[in-house]
Amino acid sequence: MSRRSGWQRLGLGLAVAVLLTFAAFPLLWMGLTALKPSAEIFAWPPRLLPEAPTLSNIGRLFEQTHFVTYFKNSVIVSSAAVLLTLLLAVPGAYGLTRYRFFGREMIAATVLFTYMFAPIMIIIPFYIVMRTLGLANTHMALVLAYCAFSLPFALWMLRTFFQSIPIDLEEAAMTDGASRFRAVIHVVIPMALPGIIATGILTFILAWNDYIFARILISSDNLKTLPVGIADLYNASVVDWGMIMASGLLVIIPVVIVFSYVQKFLVAGWGSGGVKG
Amino acid sequence: MQTRGLPGLLLVLPALLLLVTLTLYPVGYGFWLSLHAKHSLFPTQTFVGLDNYLYLLSDPEFWESLRIGLIYSVSTIVLQLVLGVAAALLLHQSFFGRNIVRGLVLFPYMIPTVVAVILWKWMLNNQFGLINFGLVSLGISDEPINWFGRSYIMISLILVSVWQFFPFVLLAVLARLQSIPTELYDAARVDGAGPVARFLYVTLPQLASVLFITILLRSIWMFTKFDTVWLMTQGGGAERYIRTMPVYAYLRTFNYYEAGMGSAVAIVMFFMLVGAATTYFFLFRGEDQS
Repeated sequence: MSRRSGWQRLGLGLAVAVLLTFAAFPLLWMGLTALKPSAEIFAWPPRLLPEAPTLSNIGRLFEQTHFVTYFKNSVIVSSAAVLLTLLLAVPGAYGLTRYRFFGREMIAATVLFTYMFAPIMIIIPFYIVMRTLGLANTHMALVLAYCAFSLPFALWMLRTFFQSIPIDLEEAAMTDGASRFRAVIHVVIPMALPGIIATGILTFILAWNDYIFARILISSDNLKTLPVGIADLYNASVVDWGMIMASGLLVIIPVVIVFSYVQKFLVAGWGSGGVKG
Repeated sequence: MQTRGLPGLLLVLPALLLLVTLTLYPVGYGFWLSLHAKHSLFPTQTFVGLDNYLYLLSDPEFWESLRIGLIYSVSTIVLQLVLGVAAALLLHQSFFGRNIVRGLVLFPYMIPTVVAVILWKWMLNNQFGLINFGLVSLGISDEPINWFGRSYIMISLILVSVWQFFPFVLLAVLARLQSIPTELYDAARVDGAGPVARFLYVTLPQLASVLFITILLRSIWMFTKFDTVWLMTQGGGAERYIRTMPVYAYLRTFNYYEAGMGSAVAIVMFFMLVGAATTYFFLFRGEDQS
C-alpha cells in the first residue's frame, strides 16, 4: 500500500467522520436524551451532554408502564425461536451437505426462493391460518413465524459452514469405530460451533426486532413484545420523550451485546443477508 | 464421501415441512383469498372471481398507493446504493480504528425498526428537534420545518429508510471488496491506470455480481417494506401522503376487515415483483456473467 499524503489523510479522516456522524450520532443522541431530566431535554438551545444525568426516565418506564413484561415476553419468544430454528436447521443443513438424494437441489432452490418473501405478502393468510388453528394471540404463533422466516438463511448459512469442514475428519472418527451420530456430535458440531452461534444470533436479532408479526398476531397487552409495546407507548398520549428514548436504549442493549460477536462474520461476508429487511 | 440416500432427506424434512406450511401454503392461500369476499374475522367467504382485482383497477386509492410506493422504493434504493457503495469503498481503506468504525456504522441495520423511527421522530421534532435547531441556527431555514407535515413527510420517511438500510449494501459490497485480488490493482498500476480508472475498470466489474443480487434483494424488500412506513404514519396527520401498497394492503385487511381485497393488493404486489425481477434478470444477467 502506497503512503498517503497529508491532504489525502485529512480527506479520509473527514469522510470517515461524516459517515460516522450520520450513522451513529442519532443513536448516541437517543442515549444522551434518555439520561437527561426533562428540563434539559427541552432546553433551547439543546446541550449535548446531560448536566445532571438521571435514571428517572428508566424508573418511570419500569414503574408506570408494562415495559418489564414486554421485555420478558421478548426474551421468551426470541429464545424459543432461536432454539426451534437451530433444532430444525442444524440437522437440515447437515443432511443437505453430507447426503445425496433425489430433489436435493430443488429443496435448496425452494429455500432460497422463500427467503425473498416479505412479511406483508404472507401476513394476511398467515393470520387467518393462525386464527383457524386457535393460535392467534399466543407466543407460539410468533415463535412459528420467526422460525419460518429465519429458516431459509439459517439453512443456507449452516450449509456453507458444514461444507467448509473436511469430511475426512468424520470418516476418521467413524473408522475408529464411532457411530455417525457420535462423529457428528464430537467432531462436526464443535467445528461448526462458531457458525451455529452466529446463525442463532441472527435469528435472535430478527425475532427481537420484529414488529409486523407481533402487531398482527398479538392482541393482549400482557403478551406483547417490545417493539409493539414501545410503539403503543409512543402512540398512547402526549409523548414522554425521556421515557421513550430510555425504552429505545434498553431495547438495543441485547442487540449491541450479541452483535459484537457476529460483526466479524458479517464483515467477512458470511451471510450478510442474515437479517432481512 | 457423500452418502447416498434417505437419511439426508429425513434430516431436512422437518425444516422443509415447516417452510411449506408456514410460507408456501400461506402464499397459495393468499391467492385463493384474493378471489373471495371475506371478512377478516369471520370464517365464511363468498367466491367472487376476479371482482377484487377489477375493483382495484378503478380504485383511485390503489393507484395512488402504487405511485407513492414507487416514489418511495426507487428513491430509497438509489440513495442506499450510492451511500452504501461509497461507504464500503471508504471503510475498505486502512486507517486507525477501522474495525470499530465498521461495527458502529452497521448499527442502524441491526436495531428494531421502532427504535429507528422514534429516534428520528425525536431528531426531526418540530419544536425541540436537533435537526431543526441546526437548520435554523445555521441560517439554512428561517423557521423550524414541520418534518411530519404534508410537504416533508415523504422526505423524512426516505431519510429514515436510507439511514436504516444502507448498511446492508455496505456489508455486501465491503465483503466483496475484500476478496478482490490485489494483483489486479498492481497490474492496472503497471499499465498506468490512475485511481479513477482503477475504480472503473477493476473495482466496478468485480462488484457487478454482488451489486446485481443486492439491487434485486433491496428492491424486493423496499417495495414490500411495511414496518418503517407504517410506524412513520403514526401521528402527525399526513398519513395519506406516505400510504404505500403494503400499508394499503394492511389497511384493507385490518381496518376495513376486507381480507379478500387486502390479499388482492398483496398478490398484485407479488406479481409486479415477479414481472420486474424477470425483466431485470433478462436485461442484466448476461452482462453479469461476461
